Amino acid sequence: MEFHELLKSKGPILLDGGMGTMLQAKGLRMGEAPELAALEHPEWLLEIHRAYVQAGSQILCANTFGANREKLARTGKTPGEIIPPSIALAKKAAAGRALVALDLGPIGQLLEPTGLLPFETAVDIFKEEVRAATEAGADLVMIETMADLQEARAALLAVKECCALPVMVTMTYEERGRTFLGCSPACAALTLEGMGADAIGVNCSLGPREMPPLVEELTRWSTLPIAIKPNAGLPDPGGGGYDITPEEFAESMAQLTDLGVKLYGGCCGTTPEYIALLARALKGKEIRQIPRHVPAAVCSATRAVPIDRVRVIGERINPTGKKAMKEALKQENIDYMLGQALEQTGAGADILDINVGLPEIDERAMMIRVVKAVQGVTDAPLQLDSTRPQVLKDALRVYCGKAIVNSVNGDEEALEAILPLVKKYGAAVVGLTLDKNGIPKSTQARLDIARRILNRALAHGIRREDVYIDCLTLTVSAEPEGAAQTLEALDCVHRELGLKTVLGVSNISFGLPARPLINQNFLTMAMTRGLDLPIINPNVDAMMAAVRSYHLLMNIDTDARDFIAAYGQAQVSTSITTSAPSSAPAPGTSRDLGELVRAGLKGEAGEAARALLEQRAPLDVVDHVLIPALDQVGADFEAGRVFLPQLIQAASAAQAAFEVIRARLSGQPGAQEGKGPIVLATVQGDIHDIGKNIVKVLLENYGYTVIDLGRDVPPQEVLRAARQHQAPLVGLSALMTTTLGSMADTIALLRREDVPCQVVVGGAVLTPDYARQIGADFYARDAKESVDVARKVIG
Amino acid sequence: MSLSALSIDENEGLRYMGCPPERADKALREQARLACSRLAQTARPRWAWRCFDVTAQAEGVRLSCGLLLPGRDLRHHLELCSRAIIFCVTLGVQTDELIRRAQSQDMLQSLALDCAADAAVEQVCDQIETQLQGKFPGCFFPYRYSPGYGDLPLALQGELLALLDAPRRVGLTASTSHILIPRKSVTAILGVADQPIPQFSRSCLGCPARENCGYRKSGGHCGIS
Repeated sequence: MEFHELLKSKGPILLDGGMGTMLQAKGLRMGEAPELAALEHPEWLLEIHRAYVQAGSQILCANTFGANREKLARTGKTPGEIIPPSIALAKKAAAGRALVALDLGPIGQLLEPTGLLPFETAVDIFKEEVRAATEAGADLVMIETMADLQEARAALLAVKECCALPVMVTMTYEERGRTFLGCSPACAALTLEGMGADAIGVNCSLGPREMPPLVEELTRWSTLPIAIKPNAGLPDPGGGGYDITPEEFAESMAQLTDLGVKLYGGCCGTTPEYIALLARALKGKEIRQIPRHVPAAVCSATRAVPIDRVRVIGERINPTGKKAMKEALKQENIDYMLGQALEQTGAGADILDINVGLPEIDERAMMIRVVKAVQGVTDAPLQLDSTRPQVLKDALRVYCGKAIVNSVNGDEEALEAILPLVKKYGAAVVGLTLDKNGIPKSTQARLDIARRILNRALAHGIRREDVYIDCLTLTVSAEPEGAAQTLEALDCVHRELGLKTVLGVSNISFGLPARPLINQNFLTMAMTRGLDLPIINPNVDAMMAAVRSYHLLMNIDTDARDFIAAYGQAQVSTSITTSAPSSAPAPGTSRDLGELVRAGLKGEAGEAARALLEQRAPLDVVDHVLIPALDQVGADFEAGRVFLPQLIQAASAAQAAFEVIRARLSGQPGAQEGKGPIVLATVQGDIHDIGKNIVKVLLENYGYTVIDLGRDVPPQEVLRAARQHQAPLVGLSALMTTTLGSMADTIALLRREDVPCQVVVGGAVLTPDYARQIGADFYARDAKESVDVARKVIG
Repeated sequence: MSLSALSIDENEGLRYMGCPPERADKALREQARLACSRLAQTARPRWAWRCFDVTAQAEGVRLSCGLLLPGRDLRHHLELCSRAIIFCVTLGVQTDELIRRAQSQDMLQSLALDCAADAAVEQVCDQIETQLQGKFPGCFFPYRYSPGYGDLPLALQGELLALLDAPRRVGLTASTSHILIPRKSVTAILGVADQPIPQFSRSCLGCPARENCGYRKSGGHCGIS
């Protein structure tokens, strides 16, 4: 019987129990790779598998949990040597009475952005296992014990991309209902069902008694069959064992039929005895059929956002019409984008739009970098925004969770390019009501396009709930009737098609004064007509105020809790003139700018710079006030009169002043370009980047443009950036003795390729001698010395 | 065994930041205090341990499970011990995330959090050590020892974690360059002796960074080696 037929059968399906604990009982030593048993003790595996078949298991897990090339490396064996005999032994033991699954466990290293393992490497590692298992005749794949949703995704993609086997994915949760990495059952359910898993569930870390809340959450967010394989209770941290008897285990498990669980098994500490008793307890039990409806929702790995009220999509990470963002993209200033991301979520954005389309840059590479980086600092789900299908594909691959794709339109070519991607990666999609002929004026024509998009999406297997329609905002100054038409179309899509709606709101007011007023009113009008997902600037409080007021007035914000939390202390002005900056210094506290920088007073330094610019030229302020002040702090730092925190405080204060000066300069012709640029990176294999970041802040203070490549940067990437930006100076950092080698490799590559740059190195374990030995031009002991080096090389 | 709630001393945080506590002004002290309390709320310490018999061999110390801990320094360190406890602890990825988030917004805050985390991990190790010592009444313990000390290679990290089944049990892994991830984590070896042993304190003597170490300058310790 195939897995799918088994799923259709009425009663519960019985899986097997623990393997590691069974092997240890047979003589496997602690720390030894259990996977070697297929070669060294095949009789052990036969006995264990047979005992499970005897106990009633309908699906056996082959002994391949850690049979990936990374974990096997220390045994000298490959997946190709371990997996086929492991599957063969399980099949032999099953003798047609049970199906055999490839057991796919975690690689044992954490993926980016938490760890260092690149996503595509993980996919490749899993593919090697899946291919070996497919050839060996496995009936299905069980992806198990995942704590990282991204790793579960990599494994699931690997299965989907190289075989047609059914696949079950179970993750391991802690008592508070999250995995070690913070993934919730809701996020796992939304993501994994979207990507085509055949069953999902829970295995390992907890006992059966802790299962009900996890099962309930899974069933709220997925329609898939649920599999549960808990441990024999909770483990003892000293490795002493588990705390539940086979009888207790069977009894607690059998109660899960009431929650609709379909597949039952055990993990660590469970034995054939547990499974036999479980089989007996489940015998004749019916699984309660609970109707499930999964609402429209998107998620990251750690946060699910149901579209059950107005959800704000932050629009700021998009270069269109934004000079600073364009600059940031050209200079690969990822930190700037992260700052924008955090500012928006801080202001109340639920979802962030990510658009990095700029003709001068490699949009694909940048999109991947930004998606990974943003997911490293915020739990907000993302809306991936590009006009190029290839960019969307790359972004969807690395995005962890259920994303929104922005966008597809009614054009045949677009539908065929985009919808398969949306389906494969389990995303939601924004459909624009336009096609080859442009944006139709009539409501009916827009509705027709929306319907066409919906039908095509459904035909591709995309859920109705995952299609959001954008009726398109037209600039009201150019199209006086446009606003009313858009609202009418939105209303129809909402009522007639019952779909969620999206609208980029800010376009409405181009070319008019007092734009926030128009934007805010248009937003309110749109919400009353059924707008679910406004794309706005959440940093403008008028916009968030409109959303919060709407929720309050429509009784979505029960007891006005959110509204009071946001405005309980606020003083609201209804006048149109904007208020003066809040950071104005109190009278009598005005101090000398240099003094403020030395004292590290960030807020006041910006104001003082503004005041000083009334009297002196910007460059004069930089050269004769700011730089000397920084030099003074640097000298004090060297002499041990001030310490690292004060140095950073001074640098931050100077930065605030620089921002004011830069704003002034950018208005002038022949505005000063930054010096440099200097490429900075923490070398491949190393993730300690705080030192490098301090160096960066200080260098920027001295007017250098810094191209910060981040951490764990491969030599090739340093080479690319040094060439592309024609950097006269490259700074490399490493903090571990084990990563000094990759620092040497990076320098060697730059030399071999004849890049005309000098190299400065730093990091706790480096010495001047070693720096010389690996061919660095300079060694910098701390951030201050890095500045000295930059002055020497660049001036 | 559960760990008691973290309470990180801001003076300790300041020392890790490279600033002697008495030289910090009010604002900096407040920032360090805030970082310590945020860190204490965010960190989710988890740990695992196992005890093995040990035998001194020519090339190092052999655990009863078969694993060799190579080098002379550890062998010397465990000279009078018949057993060794291997343990690991991690503050979890949530701590890494907290620091990462601060990095793109406020450098000083991110340094303060990073240092608060270093202080926290040391504090958790101390707590664990006390709990473990309680499990071996009448025994004596040299200070805990970690890969990277002396000639004990960092390459051992992955093996120690495998021994403790740490990736699965506490979510702690080692990268190919032997960096522990989540970052704020420790693996350690705690010797167990049946007779009194001379007590030495940990030192920076074996550390390649000692000459330039900012922590040392401010009278602290980095928590790494």
